[in-house]
Amino acid sequence: METFIIEDVTKSFQNGEVEAKILKGVNLTLTEGEITALVGPSGSGKSTILTIAAGLQKASGGQILFDGDDMTAMSQENIRKVRSSEFGFVFQSSHLVPFLTVEEQLDLMLDVAETKMDKKQQKEEISRILKLVGMDHRKDAYPPSLSGGEKQRVAIARAIIHKPKILFADEPTASLDTKRKKEVMELIHELTKSLGLTTLMVTHDDEMLPYADRVITMRDGVIV
Amino acid sequence: MKMAFKEMKKSKSKFLILGSIIFLVSFLTFIISGLANGLSMDNAALIKNMPSGHYYLNEDANAKYNLSKIDEGLQKDVLAEHPEATAFSIQMGFFNDAEDKQHSVAFVTSTESDLFQYVKDGEIVLDRTLEKEGVKVGDILTNNQFSGDFKVIGFVDEQKYSHAPVAFINQTNYQEMYRVMEMQTLFIPGKDVPAISGLDSFTNKGFLDTIPSYSAEQMSLNMIIWFLVIISGMLFAIFFYMMNVQKIGLYGILKAIGMKTISLFQMIWYQMIAITAVSLVISIALSQAFNLVAPEGMPFSLTMNTVLTLSAVFLVVGFIGATISGFQIKKIEPLQAIQQGEM
Repeated sequence: METFIIEDVTKSFQNGEVEAKILKGVNLTLTEGEITALVGPSGSGKSTILTIAAGLQKASGGQILFDGDDMTAMSQENIRKVRSSEFGFVFQSSHLVPFLTVEEQLDLMLDVAETKMDKKQQKEEISRILKLVGMDHRKDAYPPSLSGGEKQRVAIARAIIHKPKILFADEPTASLDTKRKKEVMELIHELTKSLGLTTLMVTHDDEMLPYADRVITMRDGVIV
Repeated sequence: MKMAFKEMKKSKSKFLILGSIIFLVSFLTFIISGLANGLSMDNAALIKNMPSGHYYLNEDANAKYNLSKIDEGLQKDVLAEHPEATAFSIQMGFFNDAEDKQHSVAFVTSTESDLFQYVKDGEIVLDRTLEKEGVKVGDILTNNQFSGDFKVIGFVDEQKYSHAPVAFINQTNYQEMYRVMEMQTLFIPGKDVPAISGLDSFTNKGFLDTIPSYSAEQMSLNMIIWFLVIISGMLFAIFFYMMNVQKIGLYGILKAIGMKTISLFQMIWYQMIAITAVSLVISIALSQAFNLVAPEGMPFSLTMNTVLTLSAVFLVVGFIGATISGFQIKKIEPLQAIQQGEM
């Protein structure tokens, strides 16, 4: 099922008197239960299209349709609501809150997403997701005591705890060693399939491509 | 709120340092406020204990009560028209006790009124501090400007003027001592008081300012107090600004995952309120303890009312400081934080 449609999206920056065109009309449709990988050289615009799709920056033109609603026409507050309840994010760095335990990171995300769960349900859901990502044994640990791979697992758990429809992953394995990269990608793949997520991933690592259902290559602001 | 306290728990030393500084600043503010109030009472309890009303000095006195002389005819007319009014005079002086020991006092005399201790010819009523210096009821006191003697008939609490205990004497004795027939000041209690031709009128506060050194002394101390209050607000602003700079990445990510900016502000406010409240409770307890054990001669008076007012001011100033520092949170772009890497 097509849940996310990017239509003719452009992005340009004014650099003095020169207008730099980063995206020159990108069209992309994401399908439920699939991982779409965006690849391409640096400066091709792959991270820009991901951040625009995720509502983290505005497009200069075009439309982004999520469940039929045009996100480019939404207010900042509505985009925030969509981000908190419908999207999940995994970045190159885990970006965990340093003073919260693993369990509390997920608890915070449930609060931010304003889920209707009571405390008991929240605890059960956190426990279930931590088991799913293999981190239930470290639920009381603080981020500084976790390894890079463990941090990324917690970041993935935080990204899916509130049952988002779309998972945005910006180079999620870039800071990991080969063994951890494989583990994290396997996890993203497994979760996308089992939870029916729609995943858009930016990567420059060819080893990660076998995990993607579709690979889109970008160059100079267009899909090639 | 949970997040605010989690951070405080995890970064105890950082918040302890800020709390200690706020405690020291607020404690110092309370102590100086106690001293300011104590000195104010020591300087002008006689006037501060009066009901609200208006004081009148003659125009030629240039707002200096000790140069003022109220015309006797005018005084008579005003007192006849306002039976609740009184005329009084104050002069610094001294007396010798039975052991010929000299004591500085402010001699006060007034027309018969409930507002001042009225004494008969040859009698004297003293502020209680003199009782602690060994003067007793029934003692005979002398003054080289007075031909007779004064017999102590009683003591009163908190009647001081110009840092000296007040001695209430009869008008005729005062006139003999200071060779002056006119009273210095007229006082009419109440809010709606008349303008009297040839006299300048002053409110209670305005009259206090006519006392030499009173306003200079109070202004200096009040300036220190308000500086300390402003410094505490700046401390909050600087502390949270530095903390926010360190946490720009974190705030950006929290914004990216959908956290409301107001929730981040709330986090700062909870932390500010918790630190200030704990610091103030300790400061209040210690300053009240100091109030009890302050040395006998030290003019120190710290009422709960003053403490609570200053505490409220600390909270408001802290809130403003923390909020100003939080404005940078509003400007944080989630994208910027993501690109910054690990926090």
